[in-house]
Amino acid sequence: MSHATEVMDIVFGLDPQWYAGTLFVLTYLFIMSDRINRAIVSMTAAGLMVLGGVLTQEAAIEGVDFNTIGLLTGMMIIVAITRQSGVFQFLAIWSAKQAKGSPWGILVMLSMVTAVLSALLDNVTTVLLIAPVTLLITDSLEVEPYPYLFAEIFAANIGGAATLIGDPPNIMIGTAVGLSFNDFLFNLGPIVAVLLPAMMIPIYLIWGRKLVASSEARQRVMDYNEADAITDKRLLWQSMLVLALVITGFIVAHDIHQEPATIAMFGAALLLLISSLPRSPGEQSQQLEYIFSKVEWITIFFFVGLFIIVYGVEKTGLLELLASKMMEMTGGDPELTTVAIIWTSAIASALVDNIPFVATMIPIIENMAGLLGGPEELMPLWWALALGSCLGGNGSLVGASANLIIAGFAERAGHPIHFLRFMLMAFPLMLGSIAICTLYVYLRYL
Amino acid sequence: MTTTPGTESHPTARTLMDPNPKVMHPTDKISMGVHHIMKHRYRRLPVVDDAGHFMGVFGVSCLLRLVLPKAVVMEKGLESVPFVRDSLSDLHRRLKAVEDEPISLCMRDEMVRVAPDTPLLETLLTLYKTRASLPVVDPDTGKLVGVISYFDVGDKVLAAGV
Repeated sequence: MSHATEVMDIVFGLDPQWYAGTLFVLTYLFIMSDRINRAIVSMTAAGLMVLGGVLTQEAAIEGVDFNTIGLLTGMMIIVAITRQSGVFQFLAIWSAKQAKGSPWGILVMLSMVTAVLSALLDNVTTVLLIAPVTLLITDSLEVEPYPYLFAEIFAANIGGAATLIGDPPNIMIGTAVGLSFNDFLFNLGPIVAVLLPAMMIPIYLIWGRKLVASSEARQRVMDYNEADAITDKRLLWQSMLVLALVITGFIVAHDIHQEPATIAMFGAALLLLISSLPRSPGEQSQQLEYIFSKVEWITIFFFVGLFIIVYGVEKTGLLELLASKMMEMTGGDPELTTVAIIWTSAIASALVDNIPFVATMIPIIENMAGLLGGPEELMPLWWALALGSCLGGNGSLVGASANLIIAGFAERAGHPIHFLRFMLMAFPLMLGSIAICTLYVYLRYL
Repeated sequence: MTTTPGTESHPTARTLMDPNPKVMHPTDKISMGVHHIMKHRYRRLPVVDDAGHFMGVFGVSCLLRLVLPKAVVMEKGLESVPFVRDSLSDLHRRLKAVEDEPISLCMRDEMVRVAPDTPLLETLLTLYKTRASLPVVDPDTGKLVGVISYFDVGDKVLAAGV
């Protein structure tokens, strides 16, 4: 056993599995209760995992997936700089005007923009950019923002499922398994392309056909001048160049033997460099402080703590035990196991944060390799986990961070999205999307 | 020798305040608040409940917030909207939509205040930092006991030199 992974004596002579398992369950309960910030919970539990003797400090650091952390941080920096150019507002307004001010057309266009941006950035960032513009447009149209925000939640979570970088669960799965940007795009892109229009049908039947705006209201939107949204043309071109390079980098990452975190972090560094060139050293420091303040450190530290907790639980052999129990329940049948994973992930992700759930499921699935005949046999399970956890987030307001961010905007705008009202509509729609995904996974992989 | 707060030798917020300010209630309609503010050119008015407890302030910044789209005044909202071409009638439409709502909808419930016994210089420093009339609130009861404006201070300072 290496020094880094050596399990030390547990405190008070407790059984390591019980100690780590109890700590893990308590962490989940505290995260679900929402009484203490999730980053504080995960960091405290990670500290207890080391202080309690389950992991050494070296082992804890080894447990942190720095590829996920680097990818998230790099993309957050790129988006923080790019948004200063006004390009995302330009895109949202331009797309809304393509619908000629039609309320339903605008809903569809904003949903499409949300889905595409969620696939290329991440869905939390996307809704932070799109939701305020949506509220501005619905104010001009004098229509209820609820259907728009509802559709955008679905679009963000569905769009995010399409790529490696679209949603944190995909980043985590991709990093753990070594899946490339293209792997996600080619395997999950097609089903996402089917799900998006499919989800628009019920939304149209419930709200779309009732959305009406006066000609004056439509004209207000058509009077928006999207070109004025671009506040810094130089930064716009710099950002577009770097974003294009980064996305190209993700596509070819596998071939050039580079990890996504390297590409994202180098892209962030490059954009910081070229956007800082005309500034004085003092201005550069100010700009850097502003950009770094836009990085979601709560999410980053939550991830760090979480990786340590799950690694600790894994090291005690508890997750291996859970994996074999799951295999017993499904009788070791790959088809049944895949279906069980997609539905369990979806329902669990609707009810609890999908990030800790996926962090837990990854080692469980890895432990199934021996029982199913090798890592290659696990591929349907990985796609099932990705689809279930990304799309399951649509099932309730707490299912994904993007949902909570949109709900926060809605509340501040005086149009609160109530938990139950949302879930009554969203949960059945989510189940419908999972049924379509199950069919897709079954036909394509099983 | 000790001095009594609020006297000439130990001036405090009480020395400067107007003990009978114009007040509003949280249930007053926004249209009424608009009327008072526009008629008397108040920058802001204190809001108290029926028992006289200080609840917050309602003023011109609140009115401005009501006529702007919520997407630009909300936390984490749009920082600039140079692409929007709203007219004055669009602003009026937004105000009209909330005119029958209570002023509690947009009054500021957390704000700087001073106690009646806050020393003179500390009171003036708070007023200087706030840049608006300052409510004087009894820290024990939470009741509004007066308001200090720049003009109240100016009157007292000028009178002291006579």
